[in-house]
Amino acid sequence: MSIKKNQLTKLQDYLWELPKETRPDMRVPARVYALEELLDAILNDRSLEQLANVATLPGIVKASMVMPDVHEGYGFPIGGVAATRYPDGVISPGGIGYDINCGVRLLISDLSYNEVKHRLEELSKEMYRQVPSGMGKGGFVKLSAKEMDQVLRNGAAWAVEHGHGAPADLEYTESHGCLPDADPGKVSDPAKKRGRDQLGTIGSGNHFVEVGRVGQVFDEEAAAAYGLKLHQITILIHTGSRGLGHQVATDYLRIMMGAMPKYGISLPDRELACVPLSSPEGQDYFKAMCAAANFAWCNRQVITAECRKAWSNVFGKAGGELKLMYDVAHNIAKIEDHVIDGEKMKVIVHRKGATRAFGPHYGELPEAYRPFGQPVLIPGSMGTASYVLSGTDESMVSSFGSTCHGAGRRLSRRGAKKQVDAPKLIRELKEKGIYIQAGSHRGVAEEAPIAYKDVDLVVETVHQAGIAKKVVKLRPLGVVKG
Amino acid sequence: MYTIEHLSHTADIRLHLKADSREELFQAGFEAMNQIIKPDACRKPCPCIINQMVTVSSMDDTTLLIDFLSDVLTLAHEHKAVFCELTILELNPTHLQAHIAGRPANGFEEDIKAVTYHEANVQQNNQGQWETPLIFDI
Repeated sequence: MSIKKNQLTKLQDYLWELPKETRPDMRVPARVYALEELLDAILNDRSLEQLANVATLPGIVKASMVMPDVHEGYGFPIGGVAATRYPDGVISPGGIGYDINCGVRLLISDLSYNEVKHRLEELSKEMYRQVPSGMGKGGFVKLSAKEMDQVLRNGAAWAVEHGHGAPADLEYTESHGCLPDADPGKVSDPAKKRGRDQLGTIGSGNHFVEVGRVGQVFDEEAAAAYGLKLHQITILIHTGSRGLGHQVATDYLRIMMGAMPKYGISLPDRELACVPLSSPEGQDYFKAMCAAANFAWCNRQVITAECRKAWSNVFGKAGGELKLMYDVAHNIAKIEDHVIDGEKMKVIVHRKGATRAFGPHYGELPEAYRPFGQPVLIPGSMGTASYVLSGTDESMVSSFGSTCHGAGRRLSRRGAKKQVDAPKLIRELKEKGIYIQAGSHRGVAEEAPIAYKDVDLVVETVHQAGIAKKVVKLRPLGVVKG
Repeated sequence: MYTIEHLSHTADIRLHLKADSREELFQAGFEAMNQIIKPDACRKPCPCIINQMVTVSSMDDTTLLIDFLSDVLTLAHEHKAVFCELTILELNPTHLQAHIAGRPANGFEEDIKAVTYHEANVQQNNQGQWETPLIFDI
């Protein structure tokens, strides 16, 4: 069933609702965060049909939601948020995605644009040398079976203990880079084999390492607290749990599809396969997902060390330190407390292409960040812009402490390849001072700016909705892709 | 005989497979996946030095195809290989046994995250052909 605009009720300029009564199997309404300018593109693919499917999940509370960067996925739409009642509501691997704990981290430097502008091409090339894509080849770190279990249990801390960073990095990572419920015993041998040489690799698709600069400051106080200032050089890292996480999701989707009849669960899409969190299969998946999330944090920590090496190779001591500003997951499920209809409830929050955006005074945050809320990192497309936002109290009330995660695709990869001449795009971006280092022209064409929505409009939506607040805008200077 | 048609999908790869027999539908999925992982890697004669048996039992035709391709993908990643040859030894609606052979890939062109169940629906059409949509998460 294709969703039409006239089926949506406008609740606010930035918020639309598909009523629960739209389909007999919907248990809650479905909500769309989008300015009207973005809505037509959203209605062009199957995102909202998929959002309506999510609203059928057993135990779902309040509403299924999508952020303004939503686009069609498989099962859940990308940009989706759904919370189910703890502990008997369902957990769905499709609500997290194959790339468990895909996420973003931002490194900040002591150098400003004027100090590096003549060495950007050299820096981009050195980043490309130091940060492998790892596709079908692996990276520089090879784990033994024992080390793999340590990584799955300890996350980013393993990398720090093995010389890939400083203890302070952990303080600036969501959940300090480790989910304590992880159990390596719930991760299959094939998953571990796929991951054994993938730490420190970015993969392909929309994953990247990007050198940027702070181009605009919207909130001076929050920016200062986060250590950000105008013209400062930054490094943005976007990747996840690589083959290990992909295999965990594949393994447990198969297990859950087999188990669903036992729990009387029937769903409109197999990719929504789910079981109660309290069930043995639900518990096993949750523990394996936490382990894969820890692998992803460890991966981004090892990549951080690779970026620091590249930085040092180019600038030496004069380059100073690359400090970790923050690291956030945007494909994950977490057990959190939220107030729903005036009542505090423990829920299982699924974020698939959505970022946690907790408001001020959250205890896990570094002390300096607490008055301003959790930093939210929004990567845009190469050639446009990325953002640092701050989490808000409103997001806690309205969207289970969640907001958008990027610009969101609008063109298919094939569509982008038909429209984009990659060598020409690379030349044009170079003329604008943006250096692209990529494994293939095909990858560049698929990820061209034209393939993405206007990140400014996406961010404007969440800013107006109050589910995140603009802090700074980052301009790209060098992009490394697999 | 089989065909592999590329359809539009906002972020991933959506195909439509059509084949004269159930076996050929599996061949079509196998070739389609190879073409994404490492295009044209199997055009040259294969000195296939990596040999694996794949045995899959699933709920129905559709899950059998997806589970089979998922298992081949896993093996491709584990062995860093592209598998060019598929010999189906046994196939019924819920069970498959096959031999696959391939060679080291020396890097992949695309990192397929998963073969998804989304929209997949193996069925025979009015002309007796076997067909299904197929979406790869990349």
